Amino acid sequence: MPGLIAQLLADEEHQKSTPDPLAPRAPHFPAKAKQVIFIFLSGGLSHLDSFDPKPKLFADAGKEAAVDGAQGKKLRLLRPLWEFKPRGKCGTEVSDLFPHMAECVDDLCIIRSLNTDHRDHTQATLGMHTGSVTFTRPSLGSWVSYGLGTFNHNLPSFMVIAPHLSFGGEQVWSADFLPGAHQGTRVASGSNPIPNIKPQGTSTRVQPAELKLLEAYNRAHLADRDGDAALAARIRSFETAFGMQREAPEVFDLSQETEATLKLYGLQRGQTGNFAWQCLAARRLVERGVRFVELIERGGGMYDTWDSHEDMKAHGPRAKSADQPIAALLRDLKARGMLQETLVVLTSEFGRPPFVDGSGGKGRSHQISAFTSWLAGGGVKCGITYGATDDYGIRVTENPVHVHDFHATILHLMGLDHERLTYRHLGRDFRLTDVHGHVVKDILA
Amino acid sequence: MNPRTLVFLLLVLSALGAVSPGASGSAAAPDSADDDFERASLGADWTVHNGEVGIVKGDLVLRSKGIGILTRSAPNFGADQFSEAVLAQGRDAGSMQQVFVRRRQSDGARYGFCYNPDPGRWEIEFDGVPRERTRILASLPVKAGPGPGDTIRIEVRGNTLKGFHNGKEILSATAAAADAITQSGPPGLAFHIRDTKVYPVPMFAGWKGGNLPKAPLVQPSSLPQVEQLEFFEKKIRPVLVEHCYKCHSTEAKSAKGGLVLDSREGLVLGGASGPAVVAGDPDKSLLIKAVRYGDKELQMPPKSKLATVQVADLETWVKMGAPDPRTQIKTPAPAPPAIDFAAARRFWSFQPPRQPPLPVVKLKEWPRNAVDSFILARLEEKGLNPVVDADKRTLIRRATFDLIGLPPTPEEIETFLADDSADAYRKVVERLLASPHYGERWGRHWLDVVRYSDTAGDSADYPIPQAHRYRNYVIHAFNQDKPYDQFIQEQIAGDLMPSRNEAEKYERIIATGFIAIARRFGEEASVDHHLTIEDTLDVLGRSVLGLTFSCARCHDHKFDPIPTEDYYALYGIFQSTRYPYAGSDKVKFQKDFVPLLPPEQVVAFLGSFREKVAALDAEIEPLAAAIRAKEKEMAVVQPASVDSALAGRSIEQLRSAYGEASKRREALAKQRPLIDDAYAVSEGTPANACVHVKGNPYQLGPEVPRRFLQVLGGQELRDRQTRSGRLELAQWLTSPANPLTARVMVNRIWQYHFGKGIVQTPSYFGKQGLPPTHPELLDFLAGHFAQNGWSVKAMHRLIMLSRTYQLASVAGAENVRIDPTNELLWKFPRRRLEAEAIRDSLLMVSNALDRTMPGPHPIPAQSSWNFSKASPFRQVYPTNGRSVYLIQQRLQKHPYLALFDGPDANASTASRLMSTTSIQALFMMNDPFVHELAAKFADRLCQAEREDTRRIERAHRLAFGRPPTPEESRLGESYLRQVHKELDLPPDKQERAAWASYVRVLLSSNEFIFVD
Repeated sequence: MPGLIAQLLADEEHQKSTPDPLAPRAPHFPAKAKQVIFIFLSGGLSHLDSFDPKPKLFADAGKEAAVDGAQGKKLRLLRPLWEFKPRGKCGTEVSDLFPHMAECVDDLCIIRSLNTDHRDHTQATLGMHTGSVTFTRPSLGSWVSYGLGTFNHNLPSFMVIAPHLSFGGEQVWSADFLPGAHQGTRVASGSNPIPNIKPQGTSTRVQPAELKLLEAYNRAHLADRDGDAALAARIRSFETAFGMQREAPEVFDLSQETEATLKLYGLQRGQTGNFAWQCLAARRLVERGVRFVELIERGGGMYDTWDSHEDMKAHGPRAKSADQPIAALLRDLKARGMLQETLVVLTSEFGRPPFVDGSGGKGRSHQISAFTSWLAGGGVKCGITYGATDDYGIRVTENPVHVHDFHATILHLMGLDHERLTYRHLGRDFRLTDVHGHVVKDILA
Repeated sequence: MNPRTLVFLLLVLSALGAVSPGASGSAAAPDSADDDFERASLGADWTVHNGEVGIVKGDLVLRSKGIGILTRSAPNFGADQFSEAVLAQGRDAGSMQQVFVRRRQSDGARYGFCYNPDPGRWEIEFDGVPRERTRILASLPVKAGPGPGDTIRIEVRGNTLKGFHNGKEILSATAAAADAITQSGPPGLAFHIRDTKVYPVPMFAGWKGGNLPKAPLVQPSSLPQVEQLEFFEKKIRPVLVEHCYKCHSTEAKSAKGGLVLDSREGLVLGGASGPAVVAGDPDKSLLIKAVRYGDKELQMPPKSKLATVQVADLETWVKMGAPDPRTQIKTPAPAPPAIDFAAARRFWSFQPPRQPPLPVVKLKEWPRNAVDSFILARLEEKGLNPVVDADKRTLIRRATFDLIGLPPTPEEIETFLADDSADAYRKVVERLLASPHYGERWGRHWLDVVRYSDTAGDSADYPIPQAHRYRNYVIHAFNQDKPYDQFIQEQIAGDLMPSRNEAEKYERIIATGFIAIARRFGEEASVDHHLTIEDTLDVLGRSVLGLTFSCARCHDHKFDPIPTEDYYALYGIFQSTRYPYAGSDKVKFQKDFVPLLPPEQVVAFLGSFREKVAALDAEIEPLAAAIRAKEKEMAVVQPASVDSALAGRSIEQLRSAYGEASKRREALAKQRPLIDDAYAVSEGTPANACVHVKGNPYQLGPEVPRRFLQVLGGQELRDRQTRSGRLELAQWLTSPANPLTARVMVNRIWQYHFGKGIVQTPSYFGKQGLPPTHPELLDFLAGHFAQNGWSVKAMHRLIMLSRTYQLASVAGAENVRIDPTNELLWKFPRRRLEAEAIRDSLLMVSNALDRTMPGPHPIPAQSSWNFSKASPFRQVYPTNGRSVYLIQQRLQKHPYLALFDGPDANASTASRLMSTTSIQALFMMNDPFVHELAAKFADRLCQAEREDTRRIERAHRLAFGRPPTPEESRLGESYLRQVHKELDLPPDKQERAAWASYVRVLLSSNEFIFVD
């Protein structure tokens, strides 16, 4: 580097006193989970074909039953396509839709009594992420980032690995009124994982020099301006960006992973952009201190989601994409001793009813009154189920868990009190759970 | 029983005067076999159920035949209060179940203790109307107690409800848990522990939750039982309205057979054949006879028999005794206004702006205009000293960015520096105010406030190519210095204002885009239209009045004097307004846009098309209504009417007919001749709105006449029959008597100049907002604004020519100690540029800025639209135009604007956040756009100058508005040499690459994107 610049830099006193919005912050109370991996199956996973066994639905398939809340309306019951069996030591029944996840059942806390507020995908997806089915609000990941900051300055605190968008698009990871540093950063594919993370062409060679000259200018500018905190923060943002540029490609470079690991996830060497890649990348991000990682599972085609209206068989290819990588992620985290400090969440925007849908009567439509999600890892009781639904899985009969309760519980597991995690905006304190939510204490380890 | 516990409790009470020994008890005491039982009376807050209290051998006891309960409760059992019970057990214990009910007056919610003999347990209940909705909050098996002498206590603290058994916590529930119950319960049954306000929940008057002891405080009611009323509303009224009223109501042209069925009296009095209903006896009731179709002489409705279910419902209802609320309560009674408006008007922002005298200051020679006197007075009061004035370079850079959002050119700077005249700076301000770029900067501020978008916001985010007309209208309005009162009037009621010529007429129609651009929701925007009206009101309140109306949608505003009625008084105005429809997942074409052509031309262009559309719509709408009616439970109060021809068809038949007709409609819509039209509103069907009880649009409360906010005068409409009321609303909002409108706008203008407002919650002037730092100055500015024809440009002159605006942005050590955040403006606050100004500056210094005002975005032709929730409109159109013209979307943010805290097109943005992130830094380092512009900047320098020193100088003048220091020049030359070596490119590419690298540094620097 030019000696002149080095000299100029040496003369400057480095000021690093500005508050950093992403600096790690203490939780409200001690918690086991430090990081989150939030797996979102976009379109609506059928709990009746996966995690909520209903023998009566198998027995009564083909008969008609009353549709809840539709005065006298009756519809034909559709038999689940996948058989259920008791799994693991706990004996919880999981269907053959997810043979790999089924083997991890002793590590899962399966909640069979989720319920939400809106029947449409976009609204329900936003509800599951932001707590609001109508107006735009910050995402769960943004709230966690705001509450706890992050461990690794060279990576964003909230990263969303989403080769394809879910319903609701980018609003799903929006920081909305929270400071922009808490916005989710989308990772779209393997080649350019974070926007602008790769230097342009020949500038690679001169970029270090550019940044030094930039710092020289900025420090001289700052010196004349009383150490203005906003100016100093921007200087640091370039340092961080440079670190990120160095570190991020390494995160997404899976060449150092062993054959055994790749095999566990079902990933071919060099393959990117599929869900196995998403899961393995998630582990690497968590290893490097990213606070909140979200994985969105859906395919690239317009209808490659879990929204199986026409035929429940369409759940098959989705499960093939998701099942092994998710199980592998759990095993991998466990083997590395990371699972106890990582909270893994699997959910969908809603579930599907026991009745037929679609022109051929082979699919299922949307159901918000009851569906299933699971938690695993830090601070969660494992090998249990919580909540129950009626004989056909339509209504919750025991321990209902609304999305607000689910959010309150996730925050609690991270050491955050959902009633104290507030942000003042437009004259009032906003919360992820608005005025709702209670922590599901029964599932806390 | 163990009297000890009880004694202890009562003794404590005794100390408080709750207990006093009564007359020696033998006379009236039931079953007073104990000889030495001496009756005692308790304090007023105690109630004895099924038993009596007395003293036996010095111990206070409760004795009872069955299970007696002694209860005590705070009078209202509201927040931070309790209710508790002490249990006693007599000789025949277990023979009866006992319920104690306590109604919280705050919201009508009830809590009870109940012995439920079936599973054999004690339960603490919430609510209980009707019985099947009873929510058991906690239960204890009989063995585990509560037993005789035990206490159960329910406490409410803040928003948590707790239950205790003998002091041990057995239950903890939050408001949220209870809200969830409310949601599953019938609409209108409210549970809000937090609230301390009375809600209108009329259906709550009767209690039938179990055996009600006589003593408790629930008032006996003459009203029909709640679930009976509910049954009537859900099952009976809709049938009567739909099938009977046409001939048998006071509204009918002539009541057939003299029978009217729209009141209870009508039913009982009956018609020519006698009473229609004999309460309790369906077989004797003529109404039932008629609907059974058993008697050929008496069959109603005449055309076709009612559904079997409907007949059965009517029978059930008569068996119940034909409970009918229609004479007793027509609509749920509104709560008496709890708001004291006279008191509320004493709050500063509701007070008319005063004309304050100029304050006396010590530094008499310092102020240049009135603004400075107000500022200096506050500074002197706190012992602060204004810093030095800014130098001329700083000043022109500040003024130029402030007014046009672009950096000054080197030539403009030199002209200003060379101008020694006294009004040199004034000339700069005037030049900038006259620039067409002024509107692009200040129009954008307004577009932030009104959450402008080029898309609708539904789940497919339909594009609106016509939206740009409103955007351009706003920009022109600022450029023309349209008086602000007129600007507001046009946006709310431009279509209703008289206009001098066609051009003005169309301009004013376009202005109502302010209302039209409200958000659309879901897959078929017309279904959730109420959300769109709510969004309109939200933005109207924030933007013009600085008030948050939305709270009043469900309940009276908690902090500000806005009752729910006021909300629906305004709601009615917008409900009477026809909104255009941009298309959505379900119905993929535009509707109800407003033509910008004379009517005869519209007919010429669209005549036959419109006829075809109307014919198809007439086919589709009843189908849609029939489907909705079948799908949803009937609205409680006002049932949807279903075309009787469709009533018999199954939902599948209806859906397939609807689908088929919709396809034809869509195909037809795509053949629509294109005419000039605007995303604007027009008059709809004028009607008052009803209160949506607790914000639920399917449960309607009382009708509210359309009028203005009561706290601001409550003016009523003169003509309710033929007009929506928008025109009147526009006038009320801009009336000189309105204390808010001018204050809110001058505060915004101030905020965009100084980075923060005099009121630092610029869209919220209510109680929870921040009070003004300079109240007199705010009033002075508001007065000046109104007196100068609501001219925004006059405000710029006043503010920018003040000495306060012209201060340097440097710190003074003593000032920092007293006022570290510069609240009182002892210096000019340094600011980062907004997203738009950063991008526009990059384009400008690189000589790449396209300065033309564009028309619509290059959105593909409507005939090709097929956007859906699975595949929404997401197109981003690259352009080198000014950033105000970048496409603004609702489902996705423009990627560049999202990066630099751009506006949120979903919600009113009052002030931009200024976040600093490393992703922004990566943009400056690596984004192809920045690299492309840097290369252009390099070309510009290399073409203009030959020598490195001159190029470096030119670069500094363009980017920073100043020449480089000698050291910077040396540094630059040294850097370029170094980079040449590092790059090692072919000579033809080398120079450009090296210079591009150099200017990237300047463009990324803090000096480039901060303004002193």
